[in-house]
Amino acid sequence: MRGFLANLADRLDLPPRERRHAQGALRSKRGHGASNPDRPTFDTKTSDEIILRLEAITKEFPGVRALSQVPFDLKRGEVHAVCGENGAGKSTLMKIISGVYQPDAGTISFKGREHHFGSSLDAETVGIAMIHQELNLVPHLTVAENIYLAREPTHGIFIDKAKLRADARHCLERLGVDIDPDTPVRALSVAQCQMVEIAKALSLEAEVLIMDEPTSSLTEAETTLLFDVIRDLKQSGVGIVYISHRLDEMAEIVDRVTILRDGRHVSTDAFSAVTVDDIVSRMVGRPLEDKFPERTSTPTDDVLLAVEGLTRRGAFHDISFSLRRGEILGFAGLMGAGRTEVARAIFGADPLDAGQIALHGKPLEIRSPRDAIAAGIAYLSEDRKGQGLAVKMSVAQNLTLANMAGVADRFGVIDFQRETGTTQRYVDLLNIRTPSIHQVVRLLSGGNQQKIVIGKWLFRDSRILFFDEPTRGIDVGAKFAIYKMMDELAAQGIGVVLISSELPEILGVTDRVAVFHEGKLTATLNTRDTNQEEIMHYASGYAGTRS
Amino acid sequence: MTSLTSETQKNQMTAGGKNERFQLSDRQKDLLQKFAALGSLIALTLIFSLTSNAFFTVNNGMTIALQVTSIGILGIGATCVIITGGIDLSVGSVLALAGVVAALAVKELNMPVPVAMLAGILIGSLCGLINGLCVTHLKLPPFIATLGMMMVARGVALQITGARAVSGLGESFGELGNGAFLRIVNIDQNGFPDVVFPGIPYPVILMVVIAVAVALMLNRTVLGRHIYSIGSNAEAARLSGVHVARVTLFTYVLSGTLAGLTGCVLMSRLVTAQPNEGVMYELDAIASAVIGGTSLMGGVGTISGTAIGAFVIGILRNGLNMNGVSAFTQQIIIGLVILGTVWIDQLRNRR
Ligand SMILES: Nc1ncnc2c1ncn2[C@@H]1O[C@H](COP(=O)(O)OP(=O)(O)OP(=O)(O)O)[C@@H](O)[C@H]1O
Ligand SMILES: [Mg+2]
Repeated sequence: MRGFLANLADRLDLPPRERRHAQGALRSKRGHGASNPDRPTFDTKTSDEIILRLEAITKEFPGVRALSQVPFDLKRGEVHAVCGENGAGKSTLMKIISGVYQPDAGTISFKGREHHFGSSLDAETVGIAMIHQELNLVPHLTVAENIYLAREPTHGIFIDKAKLRADARHCLERLGVDIDPDTPVRALSVAQCQMVEIAKALSLEAEVLIMDEPTSSLTEAETTLLFDVIRDLKQSGVGIVYISHRLDEMAEIVDRVTILRDGRHVSTDAFSAVTVDDIVSRMVGRPLEDKFPERTSTPTDDVLLAVEGLTRRGAFHDISFSLRRGEILGFAGLMGAGRTEVARAIFGADPLDAGQIALHGKPLEIRSPRDAIAAGIAYLSEDRKGQGLAVKMSVAQNLTLANMAGVADRFGVIDFQRETGTTQRYVDLLNIRTPSIHQVVRLLSGGNQQKIVIGKWLFRDSRILFFDEPTRGIDVGAKFAIYKMMDELAAQGIGVVLISSELPEILGVTDRVAVFHEGKLTATLNTRDTNQEEIMHYASGYAGTRS
Repeated sequence: MTSLTSETQKNQMTAGGKNERFQLSDRQKDLLQKFAALGSLIALTLIFSLTSNAFFTVNNGMTIALQVTSIGILGIGATCVIITGGIDLSVGSVLALAGVVAALAVKELNMPVPVAMLAGILIGSLCGLINGLCVTHLKLPPFIATLGMMMVARGVALQITGARAVSGLGESFGELGNGAFLRIVNIDQNGFPDVVFPGIPYPVILMVVIAVAVALMLNRTVLGRHIYSIGSNAEAARLSGVHVARVTLFTYVLSGTLAGLTGCVLMSRLVTAQPNEGVMYELDAIASAVIGGTSLMGGVGTISGTAIGAFVIGILRNGLNMNGVSAFTQQIIIGLVILGTVWIDQLRNRR
């Protein structure tokens, strides 16, 4: 927690008390030395030495040509961004560099020598590491064990537990995050898992580091921490490939940008030579006017959902808020602020220790997600792989899972025609890119998987929708469509709660914002009268209430 | 069984979306999935037909079908349990207990045979219910819960019979296991019966009906969809409103019930109830599911695959017997076939 407060303090001009606290944290971070003394350093920041070069990479999957004839190169000490719509082939290209997939055609040369990586281990051995888009941690092992999985420091034939822990702690401190290396990974939030993945990749001390949407589940504070580390790595000559759908944040670190569309290379330019609008129009193939749609309706005064004094020990304390018909309410806060936990508890996914929930003024007891769904409450989880999707099942089967009654008769016999029609409708609506609606979800690109989770809950007609990071990993064009859908839902009188780590998104689509800090609700603000600074101010624990 | 295979394919085709090309690849994948098992089934049939004249005959076909019924019916239950990510090790013991209870009900309590058998089947359901409750409510790992039931059920079966076979059950007790539908018998001049067509044994009919019913349940109903979703991602299923505990419980009850039924069929065939019957049958049932492409990790599996798996095991036993291969060698060969088919299946998955 303290690590990113330090950064916040610098950015936000906090009052002296906060500042002192923050500086302490800052010193302790520097003390550990952010750059590794063992790594060879290079004189120039971005030398022109090309460390990695790909030529005419082609890759086909059954029914999809993911990449055709794509060139790519990376210089020492540069950050090279790769942009493209969901399913454009970004992750596939990265997995080819890191040895997860083998190209059907094309060559890869690393430091002037041609390589054929048979597995990710081959690529790691020569110094190429990758942070994958999907989390790949072992839930039952601790943070430290995950970071050094298969590379445990040993003492004879035994694992050197003390060194393991110390090394892991060092890695995490370098990132500036406050996570105990002994916690089992299953107890971490998605954002914390993401930070552990980053720490793990850093510990490999690679010369080429690929980051596939590292910030999609991070709040601004951790993103800042990550960017500090990226700058350090650049300084020491590491080449970084950076993928993100948050185009605005790129300006801070990116040197060059490559754009892919439908598996084809569109352009590669110095970042300073293009604007965000250029990038977007090249990605999508047409210019995109707005980022956020106009709100077409205003919330009514009917209170739809009122919660009073919700408490779950160790997660959140005394949370009270209300949601009106036709309102979009934002939940803002830093990592671990308890936003997801509150939503899960209301949805019946976790038990509550205290508090009341009332729907339409009537008290409601929710003991399981089934109760909540029956009462018209939906919760779209932030963890699509762990909790959102049955990844071995097809697009159609996932889309209808939360509303089987909508495609079956009263005896529970599925009407396949209806299921196909429904699925096709949502595939078109959300522009889900898949070779067929029977494709196994695991084989879709990350953003397209996320769209399926959204479609699943849209198909289930609900009165209250909790969207937990719904646009995580979704491209700009599709984001607009999703915001528009939220607006339409609100216009129909549905109450929407948007949990998001992207403040521009919160400011762009909500009516009110509830700001959380370490399990407490610190402020409820009218979106129209607030701004990013004020929200961050309350998010970092400066209590107060205004409405 | 082939009708079932094409059934699932038809489902996929009718729902095939816009693109002609991908329908085909869907179908091909489905075929490929069964190829390992189906291929070895065909290969075995060919080999045994060549090595033994008596193998490829109507009579032997019926014999094999009859021999396959117990593995087949148990395999159907095992498949449902395994798709949810669980396992049922108790079916061999449960079938013994169920058969013994049915026999004792006839002999000691003078119940009519159908009622007694129903009691046997219900005993199986009860065992399944207990298994399911241990898994869903006591949160025991399925392996442990059903291992416990395996010992308890066998113990009870031995206890109530004093470890002795129950015989003298009367002819009607043997009807279910030995009767056949459409049996054509001519009485010749000397008054000896001459079997024109052996008929379709009742157990075979039972197996086919159950296989079709469960396949339809898995493919076409909400319940089936929920079973797959639990095995694929139980947490996602729960958050989607699936009643995870109840659906899981159902699969164990189904497995227990089918074990009870198998017990009655087996004991009826012998017209004697053996408390030691069915040892290791659970492993045959699991093997047939696994040969047929069911994943022990859950979320994947079909009844048609399991049926093929059951026939692979049945034909191997029968064919090797006819060729005079010793029981020990048979075990070795069956073991190797299981390893081989599952390995081919893995290769396919890895690509
Ligand atoms: N293992 C696979 N099998 C079949 N198809 C695949 C596989 N991996 C990727 N694809 C397909 O290849 C295309 C490119 O996918 P990729 O994951 O590279 O997209 P992406 O640019 O990373 O998108 P996103 O922004 O959503 O992460 C998609 O259409 C996807 O469905
Ligand atoms: Mg991707």
